[in-house]
Amino acid sequence: MKKLLILIFVITLATSCLIGSTAINPFSPSPVERDILLGLRLPRVLFSAVIGAMLGLSGSVYQLTLKNPLADSFTTGAASSSALGAVLAIALGLPLPLVPLIALGTGLIGLFTVYRLSKTNGVINPVTMILAGVVMNIVASAVISFAKYFFEDSLSSIVFWLMGGFFVVDWGKLTLCAVVLLFAYLLFAGKALQLNLLALDEHSAQSLGINVDRLRTVAFVVATALVAVAVSHTGIIGFVGLIVPHVSRSLFGSDMHNNLFFSSLLGALLLVLADAASRSIIPGGAELPVGIITALLGGVFFLYLLQTRRERFWHG
Amino acid sequence: MAELRVENLQFSRDDFRLQLDMVEIKSGEKVAILGENGSGKSTLLQLLCGLLQGHGTISYNNQSLQEIPFNKRAQLFSLLPQFSEVIFPFCVEEVVLFGRFPHAQGNSFSDEDKKLSEQQLEKLDLLHLRKRQFTQLSGGEKRRVMLARVLNQQAPIIYLDEPNSSLDIRHTLEIFELLGGRNETVISPVHDINLAERFFDRFLLLKHGRLLADVTGDQLTPELLTETYDVQVTCGTAAFTFQHQ
Repeated sequence: MKKLLILIFVITLATSCLIGSTAINPFSPSPVERDILLGLRLPRVLFSAVIGAMLGLSGSVYQLTLKNPLADSFTTGAASSSALGAVLAIALGLPLPLVPLIALGTGLIGLFTVYRLSKTNGVINPVTMILAGVVMNIVASAVISFAKYFFEDSLSSIVFWLMGGFFVVDWGKLTLCAVVLLFAYLLFAGKALQLNLLALDEHSAQSLGINVDRLRTVAFVVATALVAVAVSHTGIIGFVGLIVPHVSRSLFGSDMHNNLFFSSLLGALLLVLADAASRSIIPGGAELPVGIITALLGGVFFLYLLQTRRERFWHG
Repeated sequence: MAELRVENLQFSRDDFRLQLDMVEIKSGEKVAILGENGSGKSTLLQLLCGLLQGHGTISYNNQSLQEIPFNKRAQLFSLLPQFSEVIFPFCVEEVVLFGRFPHAQGNSFSDEDKKLSEQQLEKLDLLHLRKRQFTQLSGGEKRRVMLARVLNQQAPIIYLDEPNSSLDIRHTLEIFELLGGRNETVISPVHDINLAERFFDRFLLLKHGRLLADVTGDQLTPELLTETYDVQVTCGTAAFTFQHQ
């Protein structure tokens, strides 16, 4: 099963390089097709895979550390509060390398606010967490609207960025995101055994020798760094991190040794497919922002989870 | 083996205050904590485990709890909380294996850890459930799995917060007999006085956050229990008695 999934991923990567407004013949590409393939398609497909893996990985960690199957960068408000920081940085004309750092700062403020609001007497209430995430999204959205209104000179940059997607990709961006992903993955994979214990109640986890607060803080910071860097480069792409950890769990179990890897792989696969669809779904070469496709998929999945786990959510 | 010493322990939260002047527990003792709801039994357990911070001294083998790092504490004592849960579908054998974490080398469990976990599953009559998801078990089954996890930790002191809650009478007797036959120190709030009297050899009686008495089994009189629980306690023949077959 694992090998099959990896094979499917590789085939999807290769196929999706050939799909788009200009179909490319892989056996005898013309010079123009070769330029498109190597200069545009390949970095874009790899970029969408890396971003998908970042979102999948962050979702896997958020769901465990927040003890909430509905948690991901979008529902926790981490993505929108990161976006808020990125928009303000763009609006104020700050240098581009600073944008992900500002996004990380506001993302962490947003996430910790949601976390503190949803935790009472050492227990995280999943319903309160989702409600706090909704409020965080509304507040961030209001401030972003204000920035669009107030910083007229930056309006076009903000709007273009907010559309999300992979319109402009270069090898530099790709390398930065890949390095951040690799660092985060290795860090989490090295703590997979400890992360597993966060599935227990806090007292049990702590009595097994885990410093729960410290581990959770590290997990929050690194997962939010993944989200902030992803959001800074692509805008908000919701729900990838919600869907794939569940699919991974149902296929390979809940052990974080597997869940971290397969959430990353499935996140990459999902976003490569969604991006290929966004490039080819409208005839004539027009593109859809990829966030529309993931939001549609994720919205349906969210409703499915709410329906199947309703009892657990309302009763704690 | 480990010895526990508590001196001048004080803790307060809202209107509740807990105060314990001096308690020493020697290795291997089986100590039941008795008292009505809200008397401070679970709070005391959490203080002894370092899950709550109070004033005073708690020391294990003459070393202050504050000075013992988290990972070392897990080799000194284990805890079964009153309410324990597992989010996401981990299977029973995975949950029991979690108990080996303080002994795990690196980022995975050894074959020895897996073998010991299997032995705990067998002892607690859980082998047939090993592949079942924890979240799908009944309340009593979950309690036994969590107890297996705690015993799997192999710590010299075991804290059990109402270990028999949700358990039927057969499994209650099995578990208390199992605990009674072990060398570890067992410290446990228990609500069933008859069971406590039968399986424990020392009793800490708490009332309104204060230690009313620290007695052995033959000193546990109806008068003392009447004072502890504010109900008339008499000693007589029960309507039913239970003996594990």
